[in-house]
Amino acid sequence: MNIITRKIGRRSVLGGAAAVAAGSLVYPARGTFAASESPVKFGMVDPQTGTYAALGASEITGAKLALDEINKAGGVMGRPVELLVEDSAADPGLAVTKARKLVGSDKVNFLMGSVSSAVSLSLSQAAEELKTLYLDTGGHTDQVTGTECRWTTFRTCSTTWMLTAGNFKTLFDKFGKDWYFLTPDYAYGHSLQKDYATQLAKAGGKVLGNALSPLGTTDFSSYLIKIRAAKPNVLVNLTAGNDLVNSMKQAVQFGMDKDMTIAGALIELEDLAALPKEARLGWWVMEWYWDQPNQPHVADFVATYKTMSGGKVPSGRSWFGYASTHALALAANKAKALDTLSVVKALEGLVLPPEVALQPNEPFYRAADHQMIANEFPGYVLSNGAYPNLFHVADIVPGKTIALSPEAAGCKMTFPT
Amino acid sequence: MELLLFGAFNGLIVGFFYALMALGLSLILGLNNVINFAHGGFMALGGYLAFTLVPFVGFWGALVLAPFGAAALGLIAERGLIRPLYGRDPLYSLLLTFGLALILEDMTRTIWGPQGLPFSIPDFLDHPLSNVYFFLTGYRLLVVIVAAVATLGLFAVLRFTRLGVCIRAGNADLETVASLGVNIYFLRAANFALGILLAGLAGILAGGQLGLTPTMGSSLIMPSFVAIIVGGAGSLIGSLLGGLIIGVAAGVVTMYAPAASEVVIYLIMALVLLIRPRGLLGQEGLFE
Repeated sequence: MNIITRKIGRRSVLGGAAAVAAGSLVYPARGTFAASESPVKFGMVDPQTGTYAALGASEITGAKLALDEINKAGGVMGRPVELLVEDSAADPGLAVTKARKLVGSDKVNFLMGSVSSAVSLSLSQAAEELKTLYLDTGGHTDQVTGTECRWTTFRTCSTTWMLTAGNFKTLFDKFGKDWYFLTPDYAYGHSLQKDYATQLAKAGGKVLGNALSPLGTTDFSSYLIKIRAAKPNVLVNLTAGNDLVNSMKQAVQFGMDKDMTIAGALIELEDLAALPKEARLGWWVMEWYWDQPNQPHVADFVATYKTMSGGKVPSGRSWFGYASTHALALAANKAKALDTLSVVKALEGLVLPPEVALQPNEPFYRAADHQMIANEFPGYVLSNGAYPNLFHVADIVPGKTIALSPEAAGCKMTFPT
Repeated sequence: MELLLFGAFNGLIVGFFYALMALGLSLILGLNNVINFAHGGFMALGGYLAFTLVPFVGFWGALVLAPFGAAALGLIAERGLIRPLYGRDPLYSLLLTFGLALILEDMTRTIWGPQGLPFSIPDFLDHPLSNVYFFLTGYRLLVVIVAAVATLGLFAVLRFTRLGVCIRAGNADLETVASLGVNIYFLRAANFALGILLAGLAGILAGGQLGLTPTMGSSLIMPSFVAIIVGGAGSLIGSLLGGLIIGVAAGVVTMYAPAASEVVIYLIMALVLLIRPRGLLGQEGLFE
């Protein structure tokens, strides 16, 4: 009898390796899997690479923390919830492709994300075509819940108007009326600058100039030279992320903080942590801050987050991811359904419970334009602070007092018949 | 008018930084015939290594040691990845270094995190040197000095040391040098390491005035390429000149039309390629 021994040759090993590699390409998005046949799926499109990776990482960690809590409390209508995360790399085209994949092949029930305003606008449009609910976690430009509002789109983070109105009065009264803007040349920057300029004109101040820097500028020296020559009272730095870190480092090295006040709208804890001590200064607005000693539940949230993030405290971005995930679960449970229209109706007017809101004044999603009305935390950077005590919150400004009405924001929402 | 002069002066300072980045790239292109797209990744690596070393040896110690760390990693990359591609179509090395750039970016993100790191420079460098020329800070003067010293040092190495003479000879005709008994494997490895040493140095200096993030390499690589194309591939003085030209051009244009500040360096590159493809001081026939 011939025993034919079958040897595993090199070719089959290589072929097997190739098959495994090819298989990993069709593997569904990285996610947390619960052991069940029919989980409810949330799809998150956020930057995990590229210039906004640090901000995206915070949003994703916040979302995962919320996911654990939701599943421990029984999930959505008794079914476990799964979070599928896709990398947008802050590229609108790529983000839309990932969103279509999440809805089309991964069959997610809801979409959420992103950090870049440009990506949020694109995802908002794509989600309406896909008839899927999209919760904008962190894209700030006014249009998302303003002139380009859609029945499928909700937003957790502030509008650029609310950011600017959060500290406009403080800056104007304290520091002077001649302002020079350093604006990143895209939707978010233009929005912020227009909103500040509108309020400045109304209060009798003057826009001395507006330096538009391309997104990703590394060398700000030319802009800073122009700004210094104009001698403003306030340098309003509207850049974000890496651009903010670069421009702040260079402005301080040029000694510009001695000639004028450096301020701006949004600053994020991640940006502050990337600045060396000498460049940590200025007056800014945060949308949520971890150090709220008088607010219940916040300390627990911070402690749990630190165990998940390797010691980092939660930032505003973490709260966006956390609150958005909880909001979707709460709305689905309230509607007792998963179809887009029912959950949209349930999310309209939804007030966040205190353990999710983690701030005073009962944040809620406004029904007319689907915009969350929460609080702004204006303040100043502590120049001698050590992480995580980098920011001093001077005030908590309720969103109700500063947000534009839906009509003023230009939102005309149409529902499908 | 004053704005124009300030812009030009400022652009000159920035240009020295671009020139430092371009030096290493030009060196590698000359002898190894490799279009090193991973140059930006090694720059970022140099900056991150310096950040890690600063608590132990201080800023100056890190400035000296971290480039050697980057050069060591460059040697490993050359031995393992680039050596098999010598003699082949330059497209192979371009694709390989492009992939290597992506790997290096993800590697820095995995090891040090996506969060930007607060890289501090010594206090006494952190001020403007003059009230009128407030954009000339002690730190930027350091960058200019380091770039000038690096160029002169490189020139001295190439002119007066045995290794340098071999590199210059290899630039002209590598086959003959090999048949004359010079170990060209060692030569090419040393040349690559030297180029990466300069990249690491540029990365540390960049980290002082920019945020130290995993993506900093990709934002710095393009001006270096434009600098060597404008100045001429294969000429070190050409890289210096190319860097200065694009620095001044970008600095001046940013004053008046910021939206065009990125485009202008590519316009200059296109102009040079149309009129004099070898670059302003380039060797004839290197890529013609």
